[in-house]
Amino acid sequence: MTMITSNPARQLFRFNAGYWRATPGPFKVGAIILAAHALFAVIGTFWTPYGFAEMGAGLPLSGASWQHPMGLDQIGRDVFSRFMHGAHIVLLLAFAGTMLGMVAGTTLGLISGYVGGWFDEITQRIVEAMISIPFLALALVMIIAAGPTLAGEPVLIVFVVGLVYAPRITRIARAAAMEIATREYVAVAELRGEGTWSIVFREILPNAANVLLVEFSLRLSYAPILIGALGFLGFGIRPPTPEWGLMISENRNLLIASPVTVFGPGLGLASLVIGFNLFTDGLSRMLGQRPVMGA
Amino acid sequence: MSVFRLLASRILFSALTLLLVSILIFLILEALPGDVATRILGRDATAKALEVLRSQLHLDQPALVRYFQWLGDFVRGDLGVSIATGRPIGDVLGPRIVNTLLLSLFAFAIYLVLALVPAIIQATNRGKAVDNILSVITLVLLSLPDFLLATMLLFLFAVAVPILPALATISEASTWLETLRAMVLPAVTLAIMMAVYAIRVLRDSLIEVLRSDYVRLAELKGLRPRAVLFRHALPNAIVPALNVTALNLGFLIGGVVIVERVFSYPGFGTLLIDALQLRDIPLIKATVMISAAVYVAANLVADVLAVLLQPRLRTSR
Amino acid sequence: MKKLIDVRNLNIAYGAKSSWTNVVQDVSFEIAGGEAFGLVGESGCGKSTVAYRLLGYGTINSLVQTGEVLFDGTDLLKLDTNSLTKLRGNRIALVPQNPTTSLSPGMRVGSQIREMIAAHRALPDGMSMQSRIVELFALVGLPDVGHRYPHELSGGQQQRVAIAMAVACNPDLLVLDEPTTGLDVTTQRQIIQLLGDLRSRIGMAMLYVTHDLALLAQIADRVGVMYAGQLVEVAPCDQLLAAPAHPYSRGLITSIPTVDGTDRRAQGLRGVLRRDQMSTGCKFEPRCDFATAACRTTPQVLEPFGEMRSVACMKWREATVPQTPAVKPRPGARTAAKPGRLLSIADLNLSYGKPSIFDRFLGKTSPSIVRDIDLELRAGEVVALVGESGSGKSTIARAISGRLPPRAGLISLDGDLLASTLKSRSVEQLRQIQYIFQNPDASLNPRRRIRAILERPLAHFGIEMDEMALEGVLENVGLHAGYLDRFPEQLSGGERQRIAIARALLVNPKLLICDEILSALDVSVQARIVELLRSLKEKHAVAMLFISHDLAVVQQLADRVAVLYKGALMQLADTDTLLDAPLHPYTEMLLEAAPGLSKDHYVSRPPAMPASKAVHGIGCPLAGRCPRQVGTICAETRPPVQETGSGFVRCHVPLDRLLFRQVPIATNTGDSIHRAGTAPAFSGR
Repeated sequence: MTMITSNPARQLFRFNAGYWRATPGPFKVGAIILAAHALFAVIGTFWTPYGFAEMGAGLPLSGASWQHPMGLDQIGRDVFSRFMHGAHIVLLLAFAGTMLGMVAGTTLGLISGYVGGWFDEITQRIVEAMISIPFLALALVMIIAAGPTLAGEPVLIVFVVGLVYAPRITRIARAAAMEIATREYVAVAELRGEGTWSIVFREILPNAANVLLVEFSLRLSYAPILIGALGFLGFGIRPPTPEWGLMISENRNLLIASPVTVFGPGLGLASLVIGFNLFTDGLSRMLGQRPVMGA
Repeated sequence: MSVFRLLASRILFSALTLLLVSILIFLILEALPGDVATRILGRDATAKALEVLRSQLHLDQPALVRYFQWLGDFVRGDLGVSIATGRPIGDVLGPRIVNTLLLSLFAFAIYLVLALVPAIIQATNRGKAVDNILSVITLVLLSLPDFLLATMLLFLFAVAVPILPALATISEASTWLETLRAMVLPAVTLAIMMAVYAIRVLRDSLIEVLRSDYVRLAELKGLRPRAVLFRHALPNAIVPALNVTALNLGFLIGGVVIVERVFSYPGFGTLLIDALQLRDIPLIKATVMISAAVYVAANLVADVLAVLLQPRLRTSR
Repeated sequence: MKKLIDVRNLNIAYGAKSSWTNVVQDVSFEIAGGEAFGLVGESGCGKSTVAYRLLGYGTINSLVQTGEVLFDGTDLLKLDTNSLTKLRGNRIALVPQNPTTSLSPGMRVGSQIREMIAAHRALPDGMSMQSRIVELFALVGLPDVGHRYPHELSGGQQQRVAIAMAVACNPDLLVLDEPTTGLDVTTQRQIIQLLGDLRSRIGMAMLYVTHDLALLAQIADRVGVMYAGQLVEVAPCDQLLAAPAHPYSRGLITSIPTVDGTDRRAQGLRGVLRRDQMSTGCKFEPRCDFATAACRTTPQVLEPFGEMRSVACMKWREATVPQTPAVKPRPGARTAAKPGRLLSIADLNLSYGKPSIFDRFLGKTSPSIVRDIDLELRAGEVVALVGESGSGKSTIARAISGRLPPRAGLISLDGDLLASTLKSRSVEQLRQIQYIFQNPDASLNPRRRIRAILERPLAHFGIEMDEMALEGVLENVGLHAGYLDRFPEQLSGGERQRIAIARALLVNPKLLICDEILSALDVSVQARIVELLRSLKEKHAVAMLFISHDLAVVQQLADRVAVLYKGALMQLADTDTLLDAPLHPYTEMLLEAAPGLSKDHYVSRPPAMPASKAVHGIGCPLAGRCPRQVGTICAETRPPVQETGSGFVRCHVPLDRLLFRQVPIATNTGDSIHRAGTAPAFSGR
């Protein structure tokens, strides 16, 4: 008997050339864009052409040039250096926030979906209420409530992204768990007398992995936008830390004088999200899942 | 009978959700440990100012009493008084809501066209060049942050090719035409942001429905392709898109905050930002409650529409 | 006879540009006007692909490589969409496999028929649309259900609607794609009866696609047998059943269990169809008992023989030498001394689901779906629980296994009372009852290797077992050690079911609950699993509660049979006794409906008192459907239990009258169809 293709998820992380060739196009393009961004972020952490907060790197508002590919801002800081330094901040915040939401949401969702009953009922009502508050409003209210000491701290941003995401991920995980709980192998484990945790983590989680992986990727794609929006509105990371959304907001009054200072970081942000979205698209196609759309 | 019951239970649950929202907001804004007044005025506030604010917010009373006081007033239509301006919140909110409603309706009309047409084209030409091109366009638009898209449109149509006003400042003195022109850019931005989600969902669900047994039977009954699409496929495919539309309305409220800010449109969103920046807690509570209510209502409408479109759902549950 | 449709050298491939897989190869056949042609084969043999091409239809990823489908002289495969649209529904119509998913869910069924007639302007002169639709409903034995939505109809009614729609424009050819799969036996037979009736009235030709030869025997004139995309034999139906020529046809026929009295044990075909290990010669060679080296390399083509038959096998003459018929004594020595009782169920009442908050608020309670069940199982005994879908048989199994706490009643194992919930049963009790599920695709965790799947219960129950023993268990179910490192998706359905059986037996249970474990498998595989179960029963002396809707399968395995209808036990008897003298009217209905391997001109017997419907929870559930109903008493009071030699019957008709079996109406010849009319469809849910 010949071997039929094995589980894609299990092979996913074992890199081999043949497998890479077989991946869908969007996945490849997305992965390359993301790899470029990661590399850029790593370099930007340690080296930038000018200091990210260094004023007077050149003549303010002098437009794009070879020395200053993204021009200079109002107070003469090199926008490209700021952009480069900001890369790892955006990536880390997005990743940490999504991860937090993922861990909380998955645990709550899987258990709630499998156990059911009043626990599920209560969880769902709270999740429902949290989702009913438009996510940007919820995020902003939480930032205000945190008070002046925490405002602008990376920890707060991570926490806020996590809290905004958790109820949405809970929903997805719960739906997956409920579907998987009807499968007969779960019944077999129940008939054996296995405990709730054993069933959730042995039988349900591995089978929900595909759904959750796609969900993670999808949420990760949106995180830079959310963080950028907070920065744009002035509720994000404290200046002068060069978070991209904040930079776009700062340079918006230069839109007529030097548009490159806005669209440079904008292009960076958009390409990162495009990379994530392509990656998610390809991933969901490979895993036979469909990402659940909508914020 | 069962439709009625379904509706009744949905309304009940919606009310329950809103009650929970009010508790959540109250908890986040007023019941977190630490002094609310200090959080509003900052560390450097004088003792006198703090004292005045405390009495204004009735902070001397226990949280539970304050919550029910607020909830009772809110349900009766008394939204309280803004700290920053000292005006009744109802008066401040009213005109802003009207402005945003106008903008949203405009955006929603554009959204319907922008969502339906490409999705139908894509699903009926699956795998062909049109489908792929439209897919790429939606993916790129999907990846653009709303504040960036708004800024780009502003740059294109108000700076590079100045055919539309950059600032959507409208007042009672503006004529209808001026108002409409002012709203084009923000409305288009909002519509695009919502449509990109809906296009993908509608395309996928339409493709799935087109593959279903009943569409195949309709085709093999000898119906014309147009009849198959509009009578059998679309009504069933639109249900998932309906849910996304409801979600989108939630997004619209969030998006309004950013888009209104970019175009300086005097609506509900700019008011929320102002309230947040001024730490005007009564105003924040009122605006967030209203936006949650809009979202819940939109979902209710989507649920009811789904049931009307799919008779099957009437008997289930 | 004039050819109506002529399929010539049809070759169809599936896949994408880079790799095409042939699914249909050189298929040729023709159907004459008014003829019923059957296409039979197991899942994946390409029969439906061929059938849909007769409507000029193929999925996007399939490609016709060569061949033509001539209908009235025009090649359907070359027609443009416009001309096809005119033809489809109007002259060639389809009855789909699954009416539940094939009727448009958001449209009233009347409108669905109306749009069909309107599209082809096929309204007979001088008739209003409304009266035509009502006429069509009457034709298929339905009242005017035009204002209903599909989900408001039962499966049988939905299929009748689909048939009414298909014949709405008086087509010349009806293509039927497994039209009765998924329906209950009795409903199935009524649909077949209806189709035969319609055919004689309207005079249309039929292409009937199915995996079920026994059903085909009831309706088809000629039959084509398909295997792996090729026609291996074409013959008149009766000749094929009496003397199959191709080894595969023979295997298929011997796989079918019947209840027609001939004491015959079904024999499966070895192996499964695997498209990845096809030989260049005869496709059936890997599974054929007569194959020689030449078979592997020589392609076989249909060669005519006899008057109107053809077969694609060069060795068919040798292969048809009659083997010793597989008549063996009925399973088990049933005279053996009665061992002690293992499982006993007393007064079991079950209902589903907790009422929702809303229902509780309105003071509603969910109705009992299983009522007053008394049943005993002795050690090592196989008791079958038989009934149609929705009869509550799986629900009872759930209660025994502890997944559904009963509303009332006692279940005890080995004399010890079993707790009603899983959580309060002891580990030992859990081990003693093992459950095998219907769908082998879903009962094995797709993310674990077979080894982990088998070792987990061992670890859980603290049973020591070394590698050798584990391999021994696999061999026990007809597999080998090589399977241990595979994932479930690498196994065929039959192999997965064997793993599920192995997992259950591994922990040495006393009772095995087999919940419809054969119904998801192909006929030839089913027969092999029955053989396996029989050998395991003898070897391990494990008792089985064997749940099935199929009396024919049950008679091969069970010692006793319990017949269930709408949650109530109708009859309990030894298998032989039950088959010889069914006694209970419902058992009788089931037995008559089970198709034999020859045309039996089945006509469902009309209910004696259709107006006196059963009220749920009171009286006999069969009231209103029963052909022997004696009066309104049946609907109004619980029927008494009447003891028989080996069990009991629950019926108002006295035993001595039940013993006189009614002469089935239609043992006379074919013309009976005309006067039979159609029985009203009963709603299954």
